[in-house]
Amino acid sequence: MPSVLLTESISVELGSREPWPGDVKFFQPYLMEQILLPDNANCLAVQAFLKMCELHFTIENRWNAEYMSPSGRVPFIKCGDFLVAELDSIVAFVGAKGISLTAELTGTQKAEMRAFISLINCVLGNAEIYVTWKDDTVFNEVTKPRYGSVFPFPLNRILCWQKQKKNLKRLSMLGWGGKSLEEVYNDIESCCSALSERLGRSLFFFGEHPTELDALIFGHIFTIFTTPLPNTVFARIVRKYSNLIELCKAIERMYFERREPELVP
Amino acid sequence: MNRPMELDIWGGDWGLPSIDLHCLEVMAYAKFSAVPLQTHVTNNPFCTPNGSLPVFKHGKKKINGFSEIAAYLREKNFSADFGLTPKQCAESVAFSHLLSERLHPALQYVWWVDRKNYLELSRPWYAKSLPFPYNYYYPGRYERDAKKIMETLYEVCWDDPVVETGVHAEAEKCLTALSIRLGEEEFFFGSHPSTLDATVYAYLAPLLKAPFLNAALQNHLKACSNLVRFVVRISQRYFASTLQEYEAHKTSQQKPKEDSENYFPNKRRNQFLAALVATVAMTGYAFSTGLIEVSSKEEVKMEDELDEQIDESVFDHSSNEGE
Repeated sequence: MPSVLLTESISVELGSREPWPGDVKFFQPYLMEQILLPDNANCLAVQAFLKMCELHFTIENRWNAEYMSPSGRVPFIKCGDFLVAELDSIVAFVGAKGISLTAELTGTQKAEMRAFISLINCVLGNAEIYVTWKDDTVFNEVTKPRYGSVFPFPLNRILCWQKQKKNLKRLSMLGWGGKSLEEVYNDIESCCSALSERLGRSLFFFGEHPTELDALIFGHIFTIFTTPLPNTVFARIVRKYSNLIELCKAIERMYFERREPELVP
Repeated sequence: MNRPMELDIWGGDWGLPSIDLHCLEVMAYAKFSAVPLQTHVTNNPFCTPNGSLPVFKHGKKKINGFSEIAAYLREKNFSADFGLTPKQCAESVAFSHLLSERLHPALQYVWWVDRKNYLELSRPWYAKSLPFPYNYYYPGRYERDAKKIMETLYEVCWDDPVVETGVHAEAEKCLTALSIRLGEEEFFFGSHPSTLDATVYAYLAPLLKAPFLNAALQNHLKACSNLVRFVVRISQRYFASTLQEYEAHKTSQQKPKEDSENYFPNKRRNQFLAALVATVAMTGYAFSTGLIEVSSKEEVKMEDELDEQIDESVFDHSSNEGE
């Protein structure tokens, strides 16, 4: 039988006893020089979620945010004595405090939301990692200089090579290692088409109020169409779906009054 | 000329036409789309385009992978999703990604990483089914691949308890979400099965039917009674012949046990007669070789008289010497 010692459940359990403190810190890498496409998407998604829940936090940019994170991935938040990383864990942590964007959804809608979140993680998430770490043009012109910008020589080369190896292994294990760039673009196309079809003419996916699914879509889609890459096919595919772009613009208007400057490679 | 569509698959057991989820997915999709598919149990992934089963063959075309096979069948106008709206198609795509993200790692764990299940179920089954010499290679390779997946997803060693707990927790959430989505319906989108039903059946049927030793996830699935009914419904409607063969085979294996009990009286009699014959033979042999001697009453009397005469002569001789 599996043991019950899950780090997430412990922090959720203990964290639920305290209200949301006023000094919560949100850690991410440097936006201008360092952050990469997949990390930027995840950071924006979590920020959007916290703003939708009207939870106050301050952004702290750290060159070693990835190493400080309990799971090794950004973003993570420091809430009292707890460090919680990545959207799923943060949603559970916030939910344990009685704050939820999905309280009015039925069980079926929640199941559907889970499914679409998986779709975005599996397709858009992995596609971003593919484009960042496997595509030679983007890797040499954007990823290598940005990832290594905070380390001295030769650490910048070694750590970048290590991270690339790790990400390529991850892609391979998830069945993305053998895909060509064309196949990746087809997958992105079908994912965006499914999301667009489901969204239809509504502003948000479920009713009048946004949920964590809307936050996740905002994080990924907004990052993709605002990040300048040598290869613009990714952004062109996403821009075709106007209702997804409208969703992103609405969330930006409502929750991000003044946006941070765009990524400049 | 109509070339037949063929599918090379892993073999079946426990009432399933195939124990492998990818093969089952294609076979269920073919049944739902009324594809005239001939299946061949090859149990050998060696000579295949991608090194895995199933392999779909139509004339000179060979295709691996469910999405490619489904796309080819749709080109030939075979589809299970004709009655779905675009929104339902989008939902179907989303749910299949939910299964591959949350449930697939758990199935890899339960089949290949969990030590008891691997040693008592998976490895013996595959080793028995694969031809020589692949039975020495593939089970070990699948085990290594599954462990690498665990290490990639959780970034700790595969035997860390975090992996087992994490994998089971995600899978249980996924099963609960599927159960809630299915509700009391027969299939996920109305009264006719679609691609999503084929995918869900392929994931759930082996998990439900295989005799796992560590059955935590299987028990959670059994607790979702509507999912169990869903799997049984599809097995009975679309794979009835396989199910019936398995039931008949199970019954015929139980029959020899009952027949051996009916032989009871004859068996005892034969045992008694055999023991009697053996005893008589051994006793006769013992007598014939002189191991056992039996003397009559007259012989005993004559021997006694002889003994008395010998005693008297000895006594007389000793008394004469004394004088």
